[in-house]
Amino acid sequence: MAAWLALGRAPAFAQKRELTFFSWNHFVPASDDELRKQAEAFGKLANCTVRVDTVAHLQMPAKLAAEAQSQSGHDMFRSAGADPFLYENQLVNIDDVVEKVGKQGGGWYSFAAEMMRTKSGWKGVPWFWVSFPGTYNMAHFKKAGLEHPKTWDELLHHGKLLKKQGNPVGIPISHCSDAHSTYWSVAWSFGAKVIEADGKTPAVNSDKTERVVEWYKELYKDAMEPEVLSWDDAGNNRFLLSGKGSWIHNPVSPYNAALANKQPIADDINHHNSPAGPAGAHSAPPILGMSVWKFSKNIELAKEFIQFLFRKENFDAWIVASNAFNHPPLKNLADHPIWARNPKFAMLPKEAEFAHPRGWPAKPSDAVQRIDDNYILADMVAKAVNGMPTKRAMAWAEEQVANALKGQLKVG
Amino acid sequence: MAVGHRALEIAGLPGPGRLARVREWWEQEHVFGYGLILPALVLLVCLVAYPFGMAIYFSLSDYWVGSPGGFVGLQNYRAILGNETFRQTVQNSFVFTAIALTLKAVLGVWLALLLVRRVRFKRLIRGAVLLPWVIPTALSTLGWWWMFDSLYSVVNWTAIHLGILSAPGPNWLGQSAYAMAAVITVNVWRGLPFFAITTLAGLVSIPREFDEAAEVDGAGPWARFRYVTLPLLKPVLAVVILFSTIFTFSDFNIVYVLTRGGPVNTTHLFATLAYQTGLQGGNLGQGAAISLCLFPLLATAVFFQLRYVRKD
Repeated sequence: MAAWLALGRAPAFAQKRELTFFSWNHFVPASDDELRKQAEAFGKLANCTVRVDTVAHLQMPAKLAAEAQSQSGHDMFRSAGADPFLYENQLVNIDDVVEKVGKQGGGWYSFAAEMMRTKSGWKGVPWFWVSFPGTYNMAHFKKAGLEHPKTWDELLHHGKLLKKQGNPVGIPISHCSDAHSTYWSVAWSFGAKVIEADGKTPAVNSDKTERVVEWYKELYKDAMEPEVLSWDDAGNNRFLLSGKGSWIHNPVSPYNAALANKQPIADDINHHNSPAGPAGAHSAPPILGMSVWKFSKNIELAKEFIQFLFRKENFDAWIVASNAFNHPPLKNLADHPIWARNPKFAMLPKEAEFAHPRGWPAKPSDAVQRIDDNYILADMVAKAVNGMPTKRAMAWAEEQVANALKGQLKVG
Repeated sequence: MAVGHRALEIAGLPGPGRLARVREWWEQEHVFGYGLILPALVLLVCLVAYPFGMAIYFSLSDYWVGSPGGFVGLQNYRAILGNETFRQTVQNSFVFTAIALTLKAVLGVWLALLLVRRVRFKRLIRGAVLLPWVIPTALSTLGWWWMFDSLYSVVNWTAIHLGILSAPGPNWLGQSAYAMAAVITVNVWRGLPFFAITTLAGLVSIPREFDEAAEVDGAGPWARFRYVTLPLLKPVLAVVILFSTIFTFSDFNIVYVLTRGGPVNTTHLFATLAYQTGLQGGNLGQGAAISLCLFPLLATAVFFQLRYVRKD
């Protein structure tokens, strides 16, 4: 089938089919523009139309659930979190595409691969991951005579001084996905787990988690302001861009937004690798893929489209459009010039070295996803900073995690 | 009424055509009557009864999104009753509904009494009052969300500049009590016009003579309201309160846009928790069970209020 693509003409049977792709509103809109451009190019090549529908990322789970339930809708979608596990028996195995694309690109990062590889095969192609570095305002740090923090304890120390200066730091402790991304990262750095490696036993109630929660409590009291309890995913971006905040744990989107809107603060914003803890540095970057529904009537076409997007020139153009927000899950692409070109991006690919899927050391699963979807970890911290004794907050979380684990999917 | 074909035969006229026979059949009372109800019945079955039946079935099964489930009896209900988040949600829903409904009832009657007066631009004012009810909730709530924003809250800014609050002011959506106050405020803001305008319709239908007669007898404004207007308004109020109870209990948009149930689940309502559990979390069975918990509550409310209205 790849042959006719290479020849650049459509086979006789292709009568203007329509391939539909369900995706999110990218945080860097130029990335979606590029995607649509490539979709159109593919349409011309394969004599079909490609429709890319995008919605806000928080609306995707409900829509996907509806499509799975009604066995109709789009042909393929942007899978996030544990979607490949949640819909394991509804998704096409695309081992062939994964193997081909992976070979061309020097192999997949294992943390990205794990999110797509279920017991019954690859249920998606890793598409991109989003690095989660420290993002800070250099001017505020300079004024306080400080370097950027290399450890979470340093962040606490610096944060206290910065708050006194009128520039607190900010980590969301609320119902949003950034709150989880940071929690997992901090917890791993302190050596804490949420579930055991067997994937069945809650491990959140531990001495190490207690240290994490105590750290959060101190940070909340002395280095942050209560607004972190109300943030959505854009809350910390606004906080940094308003000029008030000095440090956040977030992808490069605030910097990109400042550049795009020509805000002078862009010059002051810089990034550094995610801080480390007693157990080293760890990161829980969002990992996204492309999956194809079994009910789709265009499975082969969808697979061709995925390969088309991974062609070197296309993938390059797409990374450039996102201005370093989209990280390739393929090892060969890590030295893409975009990261070398801007010194503020240079350290980003390094984040891959200590990234894990959520749930680690357990394998990813729908149950892990449920821990995030029900905001258990953020709520545990929120309860503690609001005055609940740490031990009680952890006991509460343990019960919630056990509930999430109970609902393990029966796949068959 | 069509003439029966027997009559035609007797009269020696030619028998009716096929069309006429169909018409005759159609015009029989029992056929025609049901025929008229049929479209509404089809709509009700497809859009109300079927989803409702499915919801009940889901709530009794261990259905997960993307995975087939089987019948598990009341297990989902036992699971949610044992869950602290659910118990918190029940408490939130009652606090939210009780406060919002009381405010809407008091302010709504008050607003209606103001609107019934003869003032200039009466129509314009009455129209403007309806605006919050007319604007799509998701949009207007976004406006409120921005007003309650931790950094750019215009509410705090104004209050601080007027000297009512000391800087930096409350963190509206990040602290439990304030967050609840915020969602209640928006709900009252949105639901008030419905209350006021419906009550206004009730007020307008009260003959002025009663009021005038009471005034002649020496009743003051409060006494006229208490003993004349209010008793006559009762049936209308009962119906409005009934509807408002249902709308308030089952609110989703406001909480979803403002707090997504946070902080720490202290603003979750049945609908938002059901959405989080069933669709975001994929647990359709428990999600359905949570949303069905609304049903007995609302059914009881409907039962008592309708009985009260009939008794009057």
